[in-house]
Amino acid sequence: MSTDPSSDQPVQQEDASAPAEDSRRVFMKVLGVGGLGACAAAISAVPALAAFSYPLGHETTSNGGNFLVAGKLSRFKPGEPVLVDLFADRVDAWSRMVNVKIGSVWVINNGDNKLRAMSAICPHLGCLVDYQKAEKKFLCPCHTSWFKEDGSLESGPSPRGLDDLEVEVKGNEVSIRYRRFKLGAKDKEPA
Amino acid sequence: MLSLQQLQAWVDQRTGAISAFRQAAQRRVPGGAKLWNAFPSVLLFLFAQEVVLGIVMAMYYSPSAAGAWASVAYLNDQVTLGWFLRGLHHHTSYAMVIVGALYVGYLVIVGGYRRPREVYWISAVIIALLCIGMALSGSLLPWDEQALGRIAVETSIMASVPGGEPQRMLLVGGKEFGNFTLLRLYSFHVFVLPVLFTALLLLHRRQVVRHGEVSSLSADEARARAVRFFPHQLFWDVLAMTLVGTVLLIATVNTHGTELFGPLVSGSKFQARPEWYFLFLNQLLHYFEGPAQIIGTVILPGAAVSFLVALPWVDRAESSSLKARAPVLAGVGLLMAGIVTLSAIAVARDHNDKEYNKGVAQAHKFAEYTRELAKAGVLPEGGEAVLQNDPKYQAITLFKEHCQNCHTVAGEGGSEAPDFSDYNSRAWLSALIRNAQDPRFFGGIKRKPTDPKHEGMDPYPAKDLPDADLKALVEYCLSLSGEEAAKAAHVDAALAKKGADLWESGTYNCSDCHEVTEGETGDAPNLFGHGSKAWLVKTITNSSANDLFGKDAKMPKFGQKLTPEQMGQLADYIIESAQKPNN
Repeated sequence: MSTDPSSDQPVQQEDASAPAEDSRRVFMKVLGVGGLGACAAAISAVPALAAFSYPLGHETTSNGGNFLVAGKLSRFKPGEPVLVDLFADRVDAWSRMVNVKIGSVWVINNGDNKLRAMSAICPHLGCLVDYQKAEKKFLCPCHTSWFKEDGSLESGPSPRGLDDLEVEVKGNEVSIRYRRFKLGAKDKEPA
Repeated sequence: MLSLQQLQAWVDQRTGAISAFRQAAQRRVPGGAKLWNAFPSVLLFLFAQEVVLGIVMAMYYSPSAAGAWASVAYLNDQVTLGWFLRGLHHHTSYAMVIVGALYVGYLVIVGGYRRPREVYWISAVIIALLCIGMALSGSLLPWDEQALGRIAVETSIMASVPGGEPQRMLLVGGKEFGNFTLLRLYSFHVFVLPVLFTALLLLHRRQVVRHGEVSSLSADEARARAVRFFPHQLFWDVLAMTLVGTVLLIATVNTHGTELFGPLVSGSKFQARPEWYFLFLNQLLHYFEGPAQIIGTVILPGAAVSFLVALPWVDRAESSSLKARAPVLAGVGLLMAGIVTLSAIAVARDHNDKEYNKGVAQAHKFAEYTRELAKAGVLPEGGEAVLQNDPKYQAITLFKEHCQNCHTVAGEGGSEAPDFSDYNSRAWLSALIRNAQDPRFFGGIKRKPTDPKHEGMDPYPAKDLPDADLKALVEYCLSLSGEEAAKAAHVDAALAKKGADLWESGTYNCSDCHEVTEGETGDAPNLFGHGSKAWLVKTITNSSANDLFGKDAKMPKFGQKLTPEQMGQLADYIIESAQKPNN
């Protein structure tokens, strides 16, 4: 903020002395300020944006997809479903954790040692569903979605029934392939 | 329809932003537009660049003792252009230190500190000091062995000053380095110092607007040549910014960013040096030892800063001509010369220090090795735990678990079974042939009276086996390890041939017990491939195989306990650790 009124004088003089040349040079300088300024800003902005967008094209966590040991076959008696925590090594950005909980799964033995595994994650908004002994049904406590024992949707806001997971029985050992699916979608799609 | 003018008027009536911009743009720059006026704008540009880069870096950084190194390694080696972000942020911090110092120097030369520019000047000096503070705090955040080496020295210096211990503890967040240290450094680096810097830049700009840019012209002449800030001066400002930015861009690409050293591990020979802008202080400490140290750490640096701050009052010259201000200029020049000289001495000393340079070379190698390991993710302990990603580390763990009770490797372990410390070396083979029943080899094996009677290999003292023949036999044994191993051991083919002839001739009865053709069984181990990975894996799997140690073997059969991969790791570990006698 120039407080000195006399300093108006020289600028007017300068403007008056060579008006034609001045306007052309001023224009070039304005152009220069814009062009060079954009270049200078791009030096940091472009790589910063590239690094910021890194998670779009890269896996930043390992989310399994492998068969994980769920326990011995004898653990799953016909009748009531059993909640099983699955453990695996997990990489989260820079850190690697050995044998940590990856997810929870409801396992039902339908007799004849035929096992069925369902992700405990409610397909609605991702709360964990609970088994209600009295009703013999699964209930999501968040928004009251009810699922039958076979996992199919009975009532509530969930767009689909509980998500089935692959089960593998080798000898006496039960393994489950743990995966996550898109929430809120009508169809079961990998997340 | 709302016209652009109407929109501008609407915004301006409410915020006043547009007229404020217009006023700033039309501000007159006394003495005309010139490159020398660009210092504050360049500092602002560099600072903005640091903020942009710093914000994205903060999205990948974990200011915790366990997470810091691993997260910086992730940013540097895995994130798209992460190395560039780090490198440019680092080089820009140097540029800020340099531009800040140059600006202070420029103001001294043109008399930009003289009345009524005292606040103008002092704010510039503080800005330059804050540039150093930001660069310094940032250089410690990677928490690599360099950062830890530096902070150890820097905080010790802090504590050595009377009353410095509480200061050190406030910075460190306790007595020892840990999570609090990093959180404090991080808070200073990203909140405290940048906020102060912004405030000082604003104060300084206020001074520039009030007093105008410094000009060596007389007041009347400067006013006569004054031009509008926009676009005349801003053009020079932006040109300077772009030039500095381009230099930094090229420097970052050419240096491929900045080194991230490995985590601090015990036994590192790397001596961390301070950043270049602190080398002179480090050098100063060489001249003030013991109780005099305070002169180098506090008194002289404090006096220098006080002198600069007090410059407007120190300078009593009537005019601002260089001649009139000669004593003041000489004083500042002396200070600068001192800093440059001390820095040069420090650089020259390190340049000629072989041990130091060896340590640096080792540290670079270690950095490469640990960062490659870090790509698989670092265990939650962080830092040094990255070494556990090394298959060799897994082999060491396996060895400790399954082998170390009886066998020794790298000088550690039991003595009930052969010592592998220099396994299959010439010295090891010679000693084995001389006396296989030495406790170093098979003499330590504990046998129960019920075990089958054991007849080991007879000793071959020098009178029975002359040194020259022993050498030839050892060379022949080495050649049995396979082509690759023989090549690695630089086997002397002629000597090995002599050994083979001795072997076959039966002079020393070797071939009576040992077979050397694959698959054949003798009274003693078949030596085909002896010392190779395959032979070791075979022995670990089942040492009591008929073509190995047979019924004499006391070692458990690990083929049932370990996977082929694990046994391969163990074999590699035994071979590799034998090749490095100091490891």
